[in-house]
Amino acid sequence: MSVLPRLRAFFAVTTPAVWVLLALALGAAGLIAGRSRARATGMSHWLFAKGHVPAYAPIFERWNAEQPTPATQVESLLIDGPALERRMLSGFMSGTPVADLVETERSMACRAFTGPLEDVGFVDLTDRLKAEGLMDKINGPSFAPWTSRGRIFGLPHDVHPVMLVYRADLVEAAGIDLSKVETWAEFFATMQPLMADGDGDGRPDRYLLNFWPNNRDLMELLLLQAGGGLFDADEHVAIATERNAFVLANLATWCGGPRRIAVDAPDFTATGNTLRLRGVVVAALMPDWLAGVWKLDMPELAGKLRLMPLPAWEKGGRRTSVVGGTMLGISKTSKNIESSWALVKRLYLDPEVHAAFFLRTTIIPPFKSSWTHPVFSAPDPFFGGQPSGQLYISQAGNVPTRPASPYNLPALLRVNEVLIELADRASRENIADPAVLLPKARERLAEAQSRVEKMINRNVFLHPEAPAR
Amino acid sequence: MALSNAQRQKLLLVPIYIALTAAGVFTLVPFAWLVCAAFKTNADIFTSNFLPLGDGFLGVAWGQLTLVNFVRLFRELGIGVALTNSVFLSATSALLATFCCSLAGYALAKFRFAGRGLVMSLVLAALVVPGSLLMAPGYKLLYDLGLLNSFAGLVLPGLTPAFGVFLFRQAMVNAVPATLIESARIDGAGEFRIFFTIVLPLVRPMIGAYLMITFLGTWNNFIGPQIVLQDPSSFPLSVAINQLRGLYGTDYGLIMSGTLISIAPVLALFLLLQKEFIAGLTSGAVKG
Repeated sequence: MSVLPRLRAFFAVTTPAVWVLLALALGAAGLIAGRSRARATGMSHWLFAKGHVPAYAPIFERWNAEQPTPATQVESLLIDGPALERRMLSGFMSGTPVADLVETERSMACRAFTGPLEDVGFVDLTDRLKAEGLMDKINGPSFAPWTSRGRIFGLPHDVHPVMLVYRADLVEAAGIDLSKVETWAEFFATMQPLMADGDGDGRPDRYLLNFWPNNRDLMELLLLQAGGGLFDADEHVAIATERNAFVLANLATWCGGPRRIAVDAPDFTATGNTLRLRGVVVAALMPDWLAGVWKLDMPELAGKLRLMPLPAWEKGGRRTSVVGGTMLGISKTSKNIESSWALVKRLYLDPEVHAAFFLRTTIIPPFKSSWTHPVFSAPDPFFGGQPSGQLYISQAGNVPTRPASPYNLPALLRVNEVLIELADRASRENIADPAVLLPKARERLAEAQSRVEKMINRNVFLHPEAPAR
Repeated sequence: MALSNAQRQKLLLVPIYIALTAAGVFTLVPFAWLVCAAFKTNADIFTSNFLPLGDGFLGVAWGQLTLVNFVRLFRELGIGVALTNSVFLSATSALLATFCCSLAGYALAKFRFAGRGLVMSLVLAALVVPGSLLMAPGYKLLYDLGLLNSFAGLVLPGLTPAFGVFLFRQAMVNAVPATLIESARIDGAGEFRIFFTIVLPLVRPMIGAYLMITFLGTWNNFIGPQIVLQDPSSFPLSVAINQLRGLYGTDYGLIMSGTLISIAPVLALFLLLQKEFIAGLTSGAVKG
């Protein structure tokens, strides 16, 4: 048998797909084998926020140049949020490798606080912060999401106060003056002319606020603003409160029934941005980080927007809230905790880094000394020349505190179910008066509280003496 | 003039083809959006649905289309490295998993050995265990084995998935007659020779289909590589593209061009091998 038929018979044994993939695998393997790979020997830093990478890169470069040995040099690794959370928790719970420094978001960090205090994988920074006087130098409420049972496990990266942003071009064209507005009721009453049905299709041409019942982050933000929330200061479940019932009943009538003023224009989506660009949504709840997102995604809105403090729930009430948050913590397994702490301070307490970061993202730092930097007082053309930095800074001290319960997400989901149900009822039964929804709100919140408490009580690590129920 | 039966039947097909064409076009709309967005700047992404509007030919601002997203991907962000990693991981995983699953499926279908029923029950039981449930113990196991931050840590756990073993077992039961194997044995063929020269050609469509399924699964695997791999230079395309998404802002043009690059090789492979893939998927669909 000659070579050609034998070769043909050999290749005919299986599908051409095998040979194509084999060729691809061998080619790629050749390219990969040619790469040189340096093994990391020093400290490591994990982060999930891509926007932080360019801000930290020069600091890492300087830090590494200063280190006398590779053991304290640092290598940073950007990882997607869920993967970072899994790696971090695996490291804390089963001893797999975890970075010396872990930068993490609120919803991830609190997962590390599930067990007994002494088993939290982050180094307790409370005494260091007190000894070095940092407690007074950093915005007080910003420690809350990183504090469990009175101990602080991370340095806050941000404050994330919330303002109200509105389309000044539309508001001014309608002859509306918002300068005297103090409460949500006044805001909606003053803005009502913008909800006219100009095109005669039976629906308002514009809606006053970007909010929808399934947006649980915005719901939590408004609950916190009103003085409600999910947990009390001692991290006990505080879902079934009169304040929460009041807020949810009101929010339900914002989204359904004859007094509807809200529309669903989700952030980070083309549809939501289109609604904003077309002016279908007039105002939105805007944390500082969202201002940066809008600048990048919708430069067409530059000059057409203005910021104002959130309308309060009652006169004299809180004019801001908070959403999101990032911290930097040191893992207990770090080979060099002192160097890690020095690097944490270098990354988070440098006014020049804060200024550069603000220019790129509009995020204000919690480090009070940085607030006097000129960039925070500069007019912001995106907001018609308002000094966006100082506007956010003016609200920093008023942001509500948020206990760092690992059960925040399940609690939030339960409460959100209540709001969705109430809004649905307001739509179906055409309810305009929140008082009509209050009894149902109280009843469903009590059920939600009971469910969350039951879940927490199953955690035998928190109640070692009690049997699991 | 009266129409013949054949002509009438052809005429009846016209509305069906029109409906199918409309459905096909409708399905391609998101893909068209993706392709257009890949060639637009961030500012143009939300101002026009497809191509940027202007005074050019067909009312399109052709001058505003740009290749800068692709240039940035390869020059600044080194997407080529991730592309190579993806090709290597996907092709290697697909080949090894197909080989191992076909061997296991053949053994379970055609050999009688002690514990065969137990192994089959284990395979079926493993089918109902969700993959995400195995992530934490899998991570610990890979750490104990020293396979973290290596491609082997991603390829080895997917070597013999229960789904693949079961798929090949069924294919072998249906497509490989026991008499053929017996005849080969009588003629003096060894077991591996029987497997490679008789069994594999008979399940060729299934091999094509399973290669594609595994290749696509690995190509799109997103969480796994991020958990196992620690070195950014080892990340595959799915992870590299996700990293283009910022927390405080998204460069949509860059992401769309990255997505286009990630789709292109898979699409090419699928078009090349679609005959095998479809034959594999439909094998056994018609009962003879």
